Amino acid sequence: MLEVDRIDACYGEFQVLKKVSLSVEEGEMKIVLGPNGHGKSTLLKTICGLIKPTAGAIRFKGRDITRLPSEKIVEMGVTYIAEDRELFPEMTVLENLKMGGYNRRARPRRARNLEYVFDLFPKLAGMKKRFASNLSGGEARMLAIARGLMSDAAFLAIDEPSLGLAPILRLEVLNKIKEIHRTGIGILLVESNIPQLVDIADRIYLMEEGELVFDGSRDEALNNPDIKEAFLGV
Amino acid sequence: MGREFIEVLISGITNGSVYAVMAVGMALVYGVTKVFNFAYGSFYSMGGYFAWVVFGAKLGYPLVFVVVIPLLFLAGWLTEQLMIKPLRQRADWEMMAVMVTLGLALFLDNFYQAVFGPFVKSLPLLVEGDITAGGIVIAVQDITIFLVAFGIMIGFMLFLGKNTLGMAVRAVAQNMTGAQIVGVAKDRIFALTFAISAVLVGTAGILLAPKYFVSPFGGWVILVKAWVITAFGGMGSIKGSLYAAFILGIVEALVGWQLGFTWTMFAWFAVLLVTLIIRPQGLFGTWG
Repeated sequence: MLEVDRIDACYGEFQVLKKVSLSVEEGEMKIVLGPNGHGKSTLLKTICGLIKPTAGAIRFKGRDITRLPSEKIVEMGVTYIAEDRELFPEMTVLENLKMGGYNRRARPRRARNLEYVFDLFPKLAGMKKRFASNLSGGEARMLAIARGLMSDAAFLAIDEPSLGLAPILRLEVLNKIKEIHRTGIGILLVESNIPQLVDIADRIYLMEEGELVFDGSRDEALNNPDIKEAFLGV
Repeated sequence: MGREFIEVLISGITNGSVYAVMAVGMALVYGVTKVFNFAYGSFYSMGGYFAWVVFGAKLGYPLVFVVVIPLLFLAGWLTEQLMIKPLRQRADWEMMAVMVTLGLALFLDNFYQAVFGPFVKSLPLLVEGDITAGGIVIAVQDITIFLVAFGIMIGFMLFLGKNTLGMAVRAVAQNMTGAQIVGVAKDRIFALTFAISAVLVGTAGILLAPKYFVSPFGGWVILVKAWVITAFGGMGSIKGSLYAAFILGIVEALVGWQLGFTWTMFAWFAVLLVTLIIRPQGLFGTWG
């Protein structure tokens, strides 16, 4: 469904991604682990068109989306859920969600998708009229994920969903992602810690200095000495 | 004094309503595209000159609005697409945008002078006649100006508040990355806000043309006025500009009445300075 083919990406002179290749099929969940500042977010932003790669190609459902503007990519069903949430602070929870369904394909299905996300996040249903700037960290994270789902995406790029959350909230967010995964959406998720999601991951990658240095199944990953050392401290 | 005071107050509110239209346009462009548009006043004059040309063709005011508004929209759209958009790739684009819009202002004003001559053009009254109520005389034109300006503001607020495209405009203003993530085509929103702001200030130009004439360099006073209003209200805050426009419209009328109109800009700057000393972000501004 999504194919990343040897992409490079740069910030000015500095090359962040080096020949990164991976693919995510329908209903798959793949996880990219790696320390902060090694290109994980850049990879997701490049897939979603917020950053343009300097080399390589990205294909979605067989179509080359490498040079498409971000709004076209969203319309095709590829949605980024940002680590910084990137909500609209002076809009209410409901308005933020409506904006999530802004793209032309999702717009006619707004009512149905609203029902779905309020079902998934009952807490948000109770604070529809609250401004996004008045939400707690956990609530803002839930809203960011819910807003992403409003786009009617077939593929979600989720950036550090548990970052900065208290352990109990982290578990709640990860359980929601498991629920979303069960609906058949393809997911590429990046984390700097091994999340409780590894047990359902179809594949795990390790990214270091802009390169994928490891690629394997859950068991291979957990037995890999590099990963063990970096994430489990052994 | 009582009657005269009320007449002055009414004139202040009338001008304030037009100031609101033009200040909101400036706040919109600054808030959404982060461009300080130095050619803003020249779009005000453009409205006046377009109206004057259309009047030469002997059309009435309703038709003037119908013909001129799409032209203003197009002028604003093209300005953004042809002059601002190519700059956005550059790191120093904000400074470049200031220089480019300043150049556009000088070009347009000199163009007006070359084509229409250095002397002012006058336009007929919007509506003739006066209403007298309890000894207070109000020009029907003033009532009309107020109602049209008020109607434009209501329409604009409904657009921003309820319309899907209007919400996208607010989204870009509040979080550009967030807007891109949900699939807003930000380049189109930039062009749209420029177009809307040209319509707003150009319409203000039509509304005030029968009272204050149209002149090639008249836009500069308007640019300064719009800037003082938006700075007083809080840069980029539409609500702030709205309040600020009415407050300064009334200040202008009262100062003009008591001290003479040479003192009005002085009074505006005094109000602005005092406000900025106490609240540097303006009435409703927020930092960042």
